[in-house]
Amino acid sequence: MKISEVSAKLGLKAFNQHPDKDIRGVYISDMVSDIIGIKEGNLLVTLQTHKNLIAAANLVDVAAVVYSRGKTPPEDVVALADRARIALFGSPDDTWTLAKKLYELGIR
Amino acid sequence: MTEAAPCRHKWAMTNVRHGYLVTEGCFHCRNRTSFFSEEPVPPIDDYHEGEHFWSYLGSSQASRFDLKCGLCGEEAPLKELMALMLCWKCDPDCGVYKAGEREKGPKTWVYVALCADSSHASGQCVHEGGIRALNEYFNAGLEDPEKRILVVPCKLRKSVDSCQGIVLADIGLTELY
Repeated sequence: MKISEVSAKLGLKAFNQHPDKDIRGVYISDMVSDIIGIKEGNLLVTLQTHKNLIAAANLVDVAAVVYSRGKTPPEDVVALADRARIALFGSPDDTWTLAKKLYELGIR
Repeated sequence: MTEAAPCRHKWAMTNVRHGYLVTEGCFHCRNRTSFFSEEPVPPIDDYHEGEHFWSYLGSSQASRFDLKCGLCGEEAPLKELMALMLCWKCDPDCGVYKAGEREKGPKTWVYVALCADSSHASGQCVHEGGIRALNEYFNAGLEDPEKRILVVPCKLRKSVDSCQGIVLADIGLTELY
């Protein structure tokens, strides 16, 4: 499933322009030291809007980040994500609700 | 008799440990050192070691890992690796900056493998085999064929004091204010 399709179906708010990549799986974490170990998902759901998270997401080739609970990334974070070509989205849902919706879309 | 072709390693993380990256400084020689603690609470006591008087400077939650090839079973122990840091390209005279410039590609991202001996007083750093394995691991399967992750040892840094980058550790999550 493409990022654009996920975004449209869940009504996500886009914080930047992005290349439309395939979503291969989901990982949920708020810790940078945890994210550097992921291999199983390239859509990251998090509450953490700090720049460190983008540095870690870039290292493990995350395609898109979705901030839950209406979190908004600051401008310098969006700028770094743009350089790394990582799409940033926001959702008003809490992380659990968002995870259920992603699962119901068929993303495993 | 023909020699077997060398393994095209398929690295995976193994032996992942979670704990704290603790940084200390010696007020006597002004060197800095780091270590990884798997204690529930990071140690903060000052202590005397030879000519050094180490004092706690800070800590962050971090994880350590080794790499193991799923094809041949070779292991790349990374006991010297304390954390990775995204280079901010702050100083053209820095060895890390120059290593990134040599790669030329516009989509090259330079990450510094930080070892325990931040000041490199001992001359030790993350070993060459570990750096090679880290590069192979993080570049495997990148979606964009032009993207490149370049991991370099921290001994290339010009100065630990002026170095700017984003350390991939969770700073401040356990501090009390």
